[in-house]
Amino acid sequence: MELHAAQFPFLSTLLLFCIASLGLVLVLPKNSNTAVKWVSAVCSGATLALALFLFAAYDRELGGMQFVEQYRWIPALGISCIHGIDGFAAPMLLLTGIVFFTGVLTMWHLKHRVKEFFALFILLVTGVYGMFMALDLFFIFVWFDVSLLPMYLLIVIWGSTLREYGAMKLTLYLLFGSALILPGIVYLVSVSGLDTFSLPALAQKGVFSGFEQKVAFFLFYVGFGILAGVWPFHTWSPPGHVAAPTAVSMLHAGVLMKIGAFGILRVGMFLCPQGWVHWAPLMAVLATIGIVYGALVGLRQTDLKFVIGYSSVSHMGIVGLGFATMTVDGINGAVFQMFAHGVMTALFFSAVGHFYDQTHTRQIGELGGLCRVMPVAGSYFILAALAGIGVPCLASFWAELLVFIGAFRVYPVLAIISLGVLVINALFILRVVEKTCFGPMAVHWAHLQDVTFGMAIPRAVLAAAIVIFGLMPFLMYEVIQTATIPLINGLNSLAGQTAADSINTLLSQWMSRLP
Amino acid sequence: MFSKPVPADSLYLAWAAAVFPLAAFGIIMIFLRRLPKAAAGVSLSAIAVSLVCAVCLLARHWHLEMPLESTVQWMASSDFEIPVGVLIDGLSLLMLVIVSGIAFLVQLYSIGYMAGDPGYARYFGFMSLFAWAMTSLVLAPNILQLFIFWELVGLSSYLLIGFWYEKLSASQAGKKAFVMTRAGDTLFFCGWLILLVWGGTVSILDLNHSAHSLSQAMVTASALLVFGGIAGKSAQFPLMTWLPDAMEGPAPVSALLHSATMVAAGVFLLGRLFPFFSQSDAAMTVCLFIGFVSMLLSATMAMVSRDIKQVWAYSTVSQLGFMIMALGAGGYAAGIFHLTTHAGFKALLFLCAGMLIHACETNDMFEIGQAGGRRMKLTVLCMTIGALALSGIWPFSGFFSKEEIMAALAAANSPVWYIGGLAGVFLTAYYSFRLIFVILLPGSTKAHGPGSQSGPEHARAVMHAVLVILAVITLVMGFFAESLQNLLTGQGVNAPGVHGPFPAKVVSPVLAIAGIVVAWLEFGRKDSARIGFAGRISPVARLFGQRWYLDHAYGWLVGRILDRGIAEGCQQNENRVIEKILHTVAGSVTACGRAAAGWHRAMIQSKLMVVFAVVFGLTLILLAA
Repeated sequence: MELHAAQFPFLSTLLLFCIASLGLVLVLPKNSNTAVKWVSAVCSGATLALALFLFAAYDRELGGMQFVEQYRWIPALGISCIHGIDGFAAPMLLLTGIVFFTGVLTMWHLKHRVKEFFALFILLVTGVYGMFMALDLFFIFVWFDVSLLPMYLLIVIWGSTLREYGAMKLTLYLLFGSALILPGIVYLVSVSGLDTFSLPALAQKGVFSGFEQKVAFFLFYVGFGILAGVWPFHTWSPPGHVAAPTAVSMLHAGVLMKIGAFGILRVGMFLCPQGWVHWAPLMAVLATIGIVYGALVGLRQTDLKFVIGYSSVSHMGIVGLGFATMTVDGINGAVFQMFAHGVMTALFFSAVGHFYDQTHTRQIGELGGLCRVMPVAGSYFILAALAGIGVPCLASFWAELLVFIGAFRVYPVLAIISLGVLVINALFILRVVEKTCFGPMAVHWAHLQDVTFGMAIPRAVLAAAIVIFGLMPFLMYEVIQTATIPLINGLNSLAGQTAADSINTLLSQWMSRLP
Repeated sequence: MFSKPVPADSLYLAWAAAVFPLAAFGIIMIFLRRLPKAAAGVSLSAIAVSLVCAVCLLARHWHLEMPLESTVQWMASSDFEIPVGVLIDGLSLLMLVIVSGIAFLVQLYSIGYMAGDPGYARYFGFMSLFAWAMTSLVLAPNILQLFIFWELVGLSSYLLIGFWYEKLSASQAGKKAFVMTRAGDTLFFCGWLILLVWGGTVSILDLNHSAHSLSQAMVTASALLVFGGIAGKSAQFPLMTWLPDAMEGPAPVSALLHSATMVAAGVFLLGRLFPFFSQSDAAMTVCLFIGFVSMLLSATMAMVSRDIKQVWAYSTVSQLGFMIMALGAGGYAAGIFHLTTHAGFKALLFLCAGMLIHACETNDMFEIGQAGGRRMKLTVLCMTIGALALSGIWPFSGFFSKEEIMAALAAANSPVWYIGGLAGVFLTAYYSFRLIFVILLPGSTKAHGPGSQSGPEHARAVMHAVLVILAVITLVMGFFAESLQNLLTGQGVNAPGVHGPFPAKVVSPVLAIAGIVVAWLEFGRKDSARIGFAGRISPVARLFGQRWYLDHAYGWLVGRILDRGIAEGCQQNENRVIEKILHTVAGSVTACGRAAAGWHRAMIQSKLMVVFAVVFGLTLILLAA
């Protein structure tokens, strides 16, 4: 992992900006709701601009870790504060920026405890930003937990359906996950004998035996995987989505689940490549089950947010499948899927949020014909649905395409099973679209309001991200590749080719039996 | 090398043909949603540009000797690259002209037909999207690009079929079309993944020329899987039931869908990969068989339907079956030629049907007949021309292409296909003229018919002009058979010219005329009972009317097996099993907590007992030591 020092501490600026805004929100007087909203909006807009700048300024030729800053923190324990982004983290920062900005704008009409809401919201996002840029295991863990805990309060105070249950389940699950991550980190640091938590140092100098890598990777996989919605640890996610208020759902599905996947990538795969190779078949099987299972359970849901929640399980399964392939294509696709799915679900939840604000129900059976009264909100909902189905020229398509190509090389049977789910996916998402947006409109919905121009801005930003990266996927892959190729070269595995050969002979055997 | 690079100006023309409709789509959806007139203008001028480009390209490369191909890299992920580009050969040039031509005419017609619709701008936006997807599809030089636009064609037909989204049946039909074609597309996806991952290429020219270097098993497997996608798109058995429902969309959409775009894409793909498919006998036999089954099944469905658009929809499936059979029998030029002529006359038939439906406000052909549909003289005349072409009567275009197909079938390995084809010819003539006679010679008509229809005069004039243009095309197209074949087979593709025996040339027109005569006897005569021979036997009529219960089978499969079976099982597993385990874990943790808490209660007796027991135990241990 090459480190390229930053000319200017952009990453710390980003983080400090969030922390300063948080402080500003906290010291503002209690009833200054408008001021709080504007501070949050400016903060989110500025971080989005910075993230966009970092994404654009990331040197695609150079690769490696860029914008690296190092500060001493607790030298006695080997803890330092290292920030840096590579081709995996840059898209994630951009995603966080987009979802943060649009989330703040989506909650513009909030009236209940505004100051507390935005303070917690900024705190949560600070944790997410920190997690994506941290290169020190200690800080990764700290930021990870910082991004989890505000979630509980955000759901319990501003949530809806079954909020105490949903919030409690979510928090317990995620804390269980972090209870696995911490031992993993401590174990790795202690067996390395290097007396440092620095990820680059451990990756370069640390020598871990196969057994150590397997144990640590498993801990990381389960610990972070809970957050990534890996089957069968996904059940916190749909109730959490349902209970959370709109912007929190957006962050939760859009960014928080990505933290889990990113953790597996950053900590698990970077430090324990042998563990990764060892556990990859298990990851692939669990991911495939998640893909199939999420779509099937989604088919039976009656609550709009549950539908999206389970489709998230299915889509995050694609990320897991991509990781398990251990090929450049698979990982590229998986990271792109993290981005694409984040933007897509954020748009989904923001559209559903508008439906819910207007109709006060999310039961699919009670809705119908909403496109008639709210064509704009309906259009964004349909766009998100189409992205979820994987229509070409929308971002998710390219992600799924590459993951399937990668998976087809390594796990053909699992890839074919997951491909079959594309049909079920289309069926249940289009069914939802038909029952909410299309069909005859009930009379009592006739008075509903469409989104105003101001409220359409966040949706337009998300939709633009989906379409731009859908039409020009190379913008994203250029960046992701810079990190993937060294990772896979480091892995130096031939698993892909051997599997391909064996399957070709298998296919010939099958075909020779036919008349 | 199997190709030469495309000269720069042709490249610009090809790109322009594809990109202008995309630009129109973007402009309309973002800026012109509230300006219907401007939207129609933008869309129409974009497709006009496409048409002009297509015609220029065709004129420039009329005597093309070798395919032209140019690509640029769009996206790369390590060793896997996604190129986009254009492939220009006889097939793509011909298809480009058909697609842009029909799309142009249909959009022109829509100006009048859709006038006053609240979604006017949206309609033209989707039409442009459709045109973009289809023009890019026919120009695609590799299967990946083709697949992308293939999916986009599916998407735009979803949007257009469900255009009147407030009608539940329309949005359901759109969903059905999307999901059913998606089922086929998934097979197609698997098929080209096999080619990409183990064959190493998805370039169409490479596949066509070097298919024999791949293993036979792989060619057969991937050809069959790709054929799954073709069956979905071209509405072949068993994925055929979405197409009759798809007429829920506006009539011009049906015209476009059934003639030049959606369903044509499937046959186009088969033609595109024809040399590749012909490497595998198994795949060709499957093509023949599926085409055969679809052709006969849908012809029987058309015999009993009362809905005018539905009859033409079934006939589309049936004619596509003919094309697939022709290609399966090795008649490459015959199949593509029939696709060309069919695009013209099927668009004509649907647009005529649209005029009648618009005027009489019903889809039922008997009601249209009674309402005096025949007073719309020009429309009925054009429709009769279309029906004559569909039945394969000289000198209309259908005659020539059908003759080619029958010749190809006669040359096939088994007489079954030829006999089936003849039966198809008879049924086609019968159901088309059943419809014509019901409208043209109704028993009684109302005094006031749609002869004096409302609507602006110039709009109707434009619509009529479109009908006349299509009718003229239908009349003259057949005489260009020779030159079209030269265009198609002039290069790489070596389809041997098939010429059937002389009796074969007579048999099928005779059967077509017989079909017309039977239709006249049953529906046209003054004192006829107006019931078809299939309608007399009620179980048969029910079987045909219920579409051979295919929809019931799908309903059962999705409703019972998938929805209430597997998905419900997963849902129960989620709620019962996983939740149960969670509750058990949580419960046991709580129970441990409670047990531990028990030790801290202020009950002195029990604690003393414990202290005593521990002290006693320790003493024993110490004593023993």
